[in-house]
Amino acid sequence: MKIRLDNKLAYLLMSPVLVYLLAIMLLPFGWALYLSFTDKTVGMPAHFIGLGNYVDLLKDPTFWKTVKNTIIFTAVAVVLKSAFGMVMALVLNEKIIFRNLFRVLLFLPWTIPTIVSVFTWQWIYSDVGGVLNYLLLKINAIGRPIGWLAKPDLAMMSVIIVNVWRGIPFMGIAILAGLQSVSKEMYEAAMLDGAGAVKRFFYMTLPSVKEVTILAAVMTTIWTLNDFEIIWLLTRGGPDNGTQVLSTLSYTIGFLNMSLGKAIAIAIMTMPPLIMLINYVTKRSLASAD
Amino acid sequence: MENRSLTKQVVVYVTLAFMLVCALFPLYWMFNTSFKSQGEIYNLTPNFWPKDFTWAGYDKLFEKGFLKNVKNSLVVSLVVSVFSIGVSMLAAYAISKLKFSGRGVVSKGILYAYLMPRSVLFIPLYMLVSALGVSNSIWGLMLIYPTITIPYATWMLISYFKSIPLEIEEAAMIDGCSRARTLRSVVLPLAAPGLAATFIFSFTLCWSEYLYALVVVTKGTDKTITLGLADMIVGDVFAWAPLMGGSIIASIPVVIMYLFTSKYMVSGMTVGGVK
Repeated sequence: MKIRLDNKLAYLLMSPVLVYLLAIMLLPFGWALYLSFTDKTVGMPAHFIGLGNYVDLLKDPTFWKTVKNTIIFTAVAVVLKSAFGMVMALVLNEKIIFRNLFRVLLFLPWTIPTIVSVFTWQWIYSDVGGVLNYLLLKINAIGRPIGWLAKPDLAMMSVIIVNVWRGIPFMGIAILAGLQSVSKEMYEAAMLDGAGAVKRFFYMTLPSVKEVTILAAVMTTIWTLNDFEIIWLLTRGGPDNGTQVLSTLSYTIGFLNMSLGKAIAIAIMTMPPLIMLINYVTKRSLASAD
Repeated sequence: MENRSLTKQVVVYVTLAFMLVCALFPLYWMFNTSFKSQGEIYNLTPNFWPKDFTWAGYDKLFEKGFLKNVKNSLVVSLVVSVFSIGVSMLAAYAISKLKFSGRGVVSKGILYAYLMPRSVLFIPLYMLVSALGVSNSIWGLMLIYPTITIPYATWMLISYFKSIPLEIEEAAMIDGCSRARTLRSVVLPLAAPGLAATFIFSFTLCWSEYLYALVVVTKGTDKTITLGLADMIVGDVFAWAPLMGGSIIASIPVVIMYLFTSKYMVSGMTVGGVK
């Protein structure tokens, strides 16, 4: 069949989606970009103040602390999710009984609504009747119940654990999909040549799932960087801004302090790294899709 | 050789057991708690199974009007998913099967929209629904949830449509079918499993959503399940049994749906980049 352009038909079919995305995503975003240069508050008209919001934020130590927290939260969580995801994929790739059942079960933490997992963990962490403190006391790991969300460092660790718990299955299943495309013959040949398990992992398994792992890790980074629910519901960014990340700070400034312009400025400042990450995924995905 | 493979088996099964415990214990604990009385919950030595099995937590949940929340979520998720699949299907067909100028830009734009996080868009969208006067109701959510579901559904459907060989369509068209007819009676039936999976994923995205609901809806009667659950915490007082009961109810539909679509999960999640 000769290649001919179906411009009219294509645009006709796409028009509902394109109109919608332009009207409900792009236009509001442009409007918001403008408002980030104003002193817009809830219910009040906006006055143009140039870079005022941005300058204020860059001078604010809380903002910098938040940036640091966001980086720590994201980096630690993504590394842990990738490592455990790799382990999960390797285990599920073995010949084990009830493999499909175990896949489904290990996937459950990712499927349930985030808010549900957050409340469940909050209950596990609780210092009154919480099962984590009970178990740790029982094995004498701690002397008395700990408020897992009450001290900045502990709270950061606790929110990371919840994020990692939810995120492992995604990494695991993505890497598993990569593992399954590795040819069995190659392994058999390597085994005949006397390559040990460790050698086979580093020289064959790892390189063959590298692409998939990186792509999944970058997508996970985008989601982790913007996680709001887990932190907001567990700690509200506290104690003492110890778990404050950019998304929770933006919400706090926008809806509790009513400074919408400033809150948008925070969101805008997360855009450059975000766009770099999204560009990466887009390039990879479009390349492999065509 | 025998020994080595036995050691390996032990390592594999021990790791598997450990991962299963970590993944499932919190879920089991949620289930367990939902059937305990408030007194038993605050017992310093927690029971690993409710001693006095009670539905009191669930009763309390429904007294607080949780059914209304469930209904709101159901309506929003269904309406948004149906609408999103309808329009996404057409766009995905165009992108995957037709040659047109600007195709690269459009598919890139869709992927961008898919990856654009809610934390960047929630204030502009809040202002949009306020300006349109649909804030504080599920109408506002119906307007903005498609920003999550349309890019997602379109991207997923593109890869489903691509997996349908062009030859089948060409054969139908040579036999005299129009494009519309081919789409309706050849392509869509073949893509039916993909459409079903996409619908389920869209549904669960809306069903589980919290941030947009939080900024858009503050009125009691229009709250969704996620807001209803969050409302159950008053200050520092946690009514754990109703909260865990509500969590179970909020999880059941999505878990059941995932059980039916687990094999489509990977391709759907990783935007077709993982093969």
